[in-house]
Formats: sequence, structure tokens, C-alpha cells
Amino acid sequence: MRLLQKFKRGKDSGSKGHTNYAYTIPRVRAMKSKLLKKEIYPRLMNMSIDEITRFIGESGYKDDVDELALTYDGVDLVEHSLNRNLSATFRKLLYISEGEVNFLIAEYLKEYDVWNIKTVLRGKYCKASTKEIKESLVAGGSLTYTFLSGLAVKEDYEDIISEFEGTEYYPILKRYDGTNLSDIENQLDKLYYSGLFHVAGSSKTKERKLFAKFIRSGIDIKNMMFLFRLKRSGINDPAMMELIIDGGLEIEVEDIKKMMPLSFEEFIREIEKYSYWKEISDIVHPDMRSLIDVETRLKKYRLKSAASFSHVYPISIVPIMDYIITKQNEVNNLRIIVRGKAANLDDETIKEQLVV
Amino acid sequence: MVTETVMSNPDGMKALGAAIAVGLTGFSSAYAEREIATAAIGAMAENEGLFGKGLIFVVIPETIVIFGLVVALMML
Repeated sequence: MRLLQKFKRGKDSGSKGHTNYAYTIPRVRAMKSKLLKKEIYPRLMNMSIDEITRFIGESGYKDDVDELALTYDGVDLVEHSLNRNLSATFRKLLYISEGEVNFLIAEYLKEYDVWNIKTVLRGKYCKASTKEIKESLVAGGSLTYTFLSGLAVKEDYEDIISEFEGTEYYPILKRYDGTNLSDIENQLDKLYYSGLFHVAGSSKTKERKLFAKFIRSGIDIKNMMFLFRLKRSGINDPAMMELIIDGGLEIEVEDIKKMMPLSFEEFIREIEKYSYWKEISDIVHPDMRSLIDVETRLKKYRLKSAASFSHVYPISIVPIMDYIITKQNEVNNLRIIVRGKAANLDDETIKEQLVV
Repeated sequence: MVTETVMSNPDGMKALGAAIAVGLTGFSSAYAEREIATAAIGAMAENEGLFGKGLIFVVIPETIVIFGLVVALMML
């Protein structure tokens, strides 16, 4: 069976060694069981920032809070502890997995490599200090913190870009002239997704097909949220197609092209035919003012479908992907709570933003 | 010469059958235990409290080889 899978994967699959699903998946499931339960969030809402810091310092974030407590305090301590924990967790996933599963996780987590490259370039563009850039890094991908902080120290962007010579990012980065940052950022994002598609489409194994389906449904949700924002703001500019990610599962680029000139009302009628509609049908109407509910629902749907998908295919890449997005969501939720409390937002506003 | 003796002697055939019964079931249990033990170790690495449960699940495929052993003993 394994030989058959190896044959199907082909020579340029990129994965090396024996795939250890039997070890990785129970470990990841045990890690998932340690994440905060949804009953915890109402309790957190009733706590002050210091109490929240103590609470997360006694949970899975203990090492990070202990380590950073000497340098930071208050909201910054929570924020940096969350970032540190996120990158440590994702690096751990790469460390405990082998073969095909390790390769797919690494490809997925390149999102953080792209994020960090953008952070460093943006930091230099805004003339942020080295310390500020270093604080914003989340080394969850294959680029290490040491390498990235080395980049943050460099004086100008040419030196940073030359460090990427020979990597897949270099052809894009070398076009950066100090002014076209947003264009470079878009291209990096597109490179990330095209890389994922290349990986998912390069062989016909079950894992890769599931991986592709997972990625493509994520793209649908991203594109939908983007379209909602565009349509709500009344933007019909066809140039916005540049920002659309190709390869959605249900909503194809051609469909989006047709939706682009529509008004918000027509757009709503158009999306009724997709399966995502049933998740948002009760809150979407032409007069809606805020899109927070829609975005929260779509994110919730993504989490829910990943969780149920992971029960359908228990020995596959899906439970790991499910863990990754659930962990990202937990960190986002905690960040929303502490940042909301620090900004003196009322509890209702904070609750609206949470994806639980 | 040895093969001929085994094939012509009913006791030899029985011994061969018993050997196959124990041998194949031994391999099957080992294969199943390998996968389960790997999973149990993965889970235990995160939560030591799962040691007891993990151990029980790991030894469950041992029943396969016990069946093989019982069949072999009945044959002999």
C-alpha cells in the first residue's frame, strides 16, 4: 500500500522519508485537546488583563509567559507570549512529522514565511526600529527566527533581498524598488497559493486531494470575505480582480469576474447558489451595516467544517490542518479579548468579534 | 530428503501447520501493535495520563497470536 502511494506521489513530490501519520495524528489530537474550550471565553471576558495574563500563564502558554515576563507586561506580554507560542507550536508540528505529512505542513506554513518577509520589508519601508520589527515576527514557517532577526538588523532592503538569492521568493523580491511594496506583497501571496496548488496537484494521492480540497475551500472563504467588503463599500472596479485568489472550490474566478460589476443587492442574490449561503443566509440582507457577523460566521464555518472533515478522514493531513486553524483561531480570540479590554471596548463589541 | 520425510509423515504436516498458524499470527500481531504503539507513544508524548489506556490498546492485537497459538496446540 505504501509502495503504491509512493508510486502515485511520483519523483518530484518533494517529500522525503516515511510518513508517520500513526505518530503525528494522535499527538496532534492530544495537542488539540489542550486548547481552550469554548466555555472558557465567557470567563475570560469577566477578567481583567492581569487576570487573563495569569490565566494563560497557568495554561498552555506558561513557558512563553514565564520567559517574556521579564521584558514585557500587560497587553504586550500577552501578545508576545501568544506569538511566541504560535511559532513554537507550528515549529513543533514540523519537528514531529516526517515524509509526506511534514512536506505538506511545511508548504502550508509558508504562509508565515511570506508574512515575515512582508513584515521585515514593511518595517524597513516605514523606518521601524529593529526591535519593533523583531517583535512583529512570527517564525512559524521554515524560516527560523535567527535568520529573520538577522534580516531585521540589516540597514536597507537591498541587503535583505540579497539574502533570499536562490530561493523561490527571490524572482519576486528582486523587483522591489523601495516603492512598490503593495504589489510585491500581493505577488508573494499569490506565490504562496500557487505553490500550494502545485503541491496539491502534482500527484494523485488521497492526502494531496484532501489537502487541495481544504486549501480551496479556504480560498473560497477568503475571496467571499473580500467580495463582501468590496460590495459593501460599493467598489466595482475590475482592477480588483488582481487581488482575487485563483482556485476556489465552489466560487471560480470566472464567477467572481461576473460578480465584480454587481451592486451589493445583486451580489447577495448571486451568492445564494453556493453552499456557504446557508451559513450566512439569516444575517445577510441588503441594508446590513457591519460585516463582522458575516466574517465571524464564515470563519466559524471553516473551523466547523475542518473539524467534521477531520473525523471523516482521521488518518490524513486534515486533522493536522484542523489543529493549525483552531490554534490560529484561539490565538486570535485571546488577542481580540486583551486588545479589546485594553482599548476599553464594551463586552458586546468584543464578543461580536470572537470566533468561538 | 527432509522435505519428503515431513510430507509423508502426518506428524510432520501437523507441525508445519502449527508453525504457519503461530508464525503468521505472530507477524499480524506485530504489524498491528507497531501502528497502535506508535499512536500511543505520540499521544503519551503530549499527555502522560494516557499511559494506561495506551498500554491496553497496544496489547489488544496480542489476542491474534494467542488464537494462533491455541490452534497450533490443538493441532499438535
